[in-house]
Amino acid sequence: MIPHAPILTIVLPIFAAFLTPVVGIVAKRFGVERARDWFVVGVAILMFIIVASMVPAVWGGEVLVYKLGGWSPPWGIVLAVDGLNLLVALIIAGVVSLVAIYSVVYMERDSGLEKYYTLLMLVTAGSMGVTLTGDIFNLYVFFEIMSISSYALVAFRRNWDSVEAGVKYLVIGSLGTSLLLLSIVFLYGLIGSLNIADLAWKLGEIKATQSLPMIVPLMLALLVTGFGIKIAMVPLHAWLPDAYQAAPSAVSALLSGATTTVGIYAMLRVSYLLFGALAIGMMFIVLGLITMVAGGLMALVQRDLKRLLAYSCISQMGYILLGVGFGSSASGSAQVMGIQGGLFHLLNNAIYKVLLFMCAGAIVYRVGTSNLDELGGLGKNMPITATLFVVGALAISGIPPLNGFASKWTIYVAGMEAGQPICTAIAVVMSALTLAYFLKAINLMFLGQRPEHLREVKEAPPLMLFPMLMLAAFCVVFGILPGLGIDLVRPAQSAVMNQLGYIGSVMGAG
Amino acid sequence: MEFGPGIWGPIVATVVMLLGVAIAYLLLLASRKYITPKPSLEKLRTYACGEVLKPDEVHVDSEQFYSPIRRVFRPFYRYVQPRHTGILTTYLLWVVVGFIIILIAIMVALR
Repeated sequence: MIPHAPILTIVLPIFAAFLTPVVGIVAKRFGVERARDWFVVGVAILMFIIVASMVPAVWGGEVLVYKLGGWSPPWGIVLAVDGLNLLVALIIAGVVSLVAIYSVVYMERDSGLEKYYTLLMLVTAGSMGVTLTGDIFNLYVFFEIMSISSYALVAFRRNWDSVEAGVKYLVIGSLGTSLLLLSIVFLYGLIGSLNIADLAWKLGEIKATQSLPMIVPLMLALLVTGFGIKIAMVPLHAWLPDAYQAAPSAVSALLSGATTTVGIYAMLRVSYLLFGALAIGMMFIVLGLITMVAGGLMALVQRDLKRLLAYSCISQMGYILLGVGFGSSASGSAQVMGIQGGLFHLLNNAIYKVLLFMCAGAIVYRVGTSNLDELGGLGKNMPITATLFVVGALAISGIPPLNGFASKWTIYVAGMEAGQPICTAIAVVMSALTLAYFLKAINLMFLGQRPEHLREVKEAPPLMLFPMLMLAAFCVVFGILPGLGIDLVRPAQSAVMNQLGYIGSVMGAG
Repeated sequence: MEFGPGIWGPIVATVVMLLGVAIAYLLLLASRKYITPKPSLEKLRTYACGEVLKPDEVHVDSEQFYSPIRRVFRPFYRYVQPRHTGILTTYLLWVVVGFIIILIAIMVALR
């Protein structure tokens, strides 16, 4: 492991965020403006390497506890890395690296790119902070850093639509983070600690010795609602379609791949560790089903590709919640498979959703619109983009042999084993509906007669195609070798189910 | 290379699918030996009761693409879809309603 890897993962993007404008000024002076863009790409790749360096220790069963300033928990702030947050950190670092490479060309026509890259790095720092911290107030602060940078990125182009979407996201998102803060206040008032492991231990003691205080359900509801807004769980999803449609496609890819993953992680970590998720497994199943069905049905009637992808993102969040819900409400192999399936789908969703938004960005870059009614016959002009979009669309629809099939299959098996055949059947039907709306998009964009004004459209630039090709390759590899994906999420699933190990490792570090 | 308790073998399935594609393509090539496609401008043109349409006009309406499915889920499209108005105060109300539902669900679950 690289020394001080946990803190470096957070500090590196923060420093890079504030260095980016300086690098931009120097690069401009020497006439190599792209040096700023490549600086950010380099930082993102370095961050990925640092995160990857923690893999051997964590997958070996260790929980890495990093004491900030040498202060022991619960008094000092700690970073605690186990299988669950390492998986999320790997996803964030991977997505940010690919989005940074994609942005080099995709964002070249925009001005104010110093601000763009600064915000990109701040979102990354916030996401990494939420993921790795072992302190709940610290988690809130990083959540705010991630969220506020996201609002600014959505409104980056400063046209009417993006500012409106940014303001909506800001107001609804701020309400969500206020609910989180309120819950943390109640938690501190009840327990007198902010260390997550300490809170979990002391809450467990209270539950064992006396009846549950009336404030506990309220605290959990505040936390689930706060994180639910970030993952766009229905009916808290309203900000997302506007934001993903109006934001630059690179930002939509980042938000769909990284920040929603962080939202799911935070919800899992807090609900499992602090409150014991067995009791709320059924709630996850119901909310997952509502989210999946509503997102899918809304996606079916969209005229705009990015809006369609946004609703499909909501629908996929439903699958993840459903998998985790199956796992939480069952025991034995159904529990293992449900959580594994949910986490595998989280990983897969990050892969194909980023790929699909990048494909949408490639079309917008070349054609200038994502309105499905203004497109057609682009398969002839953009064959690689069309092929990659088809791979992503089939993967998200759960068509074998791609990765979406592998994770959905695991969720279906968990559902049947958990004794939930009706919920499983609904999930299968929604998968068919997903295929239906993606076939519509493929038909309207790439097939049929090509309008006259699209005759001269060219294929996307190679630097934009490169990250898309990598993501499509992952879709195929994790589909043909699903054991590889399951092996990747197994340490995370063990971490979710072994909360005492996390508590013991963090408190033992004191 | 199987996973889960089912009988899905991803590598075997992939090979079988690729074989299927190869056989279908060979059949297609073989059929062209007997029936050579001769596309003419008239054959390729979309029939619209004698009207001559430009490629831009021959386009399925994206919202009505799956109108039969819309009919199946009519209550959703009649009552839920129109509620997505874009009005911020409505969306804030949804958050409040969502919070109350979640609170009730948790209270029932933890009872």
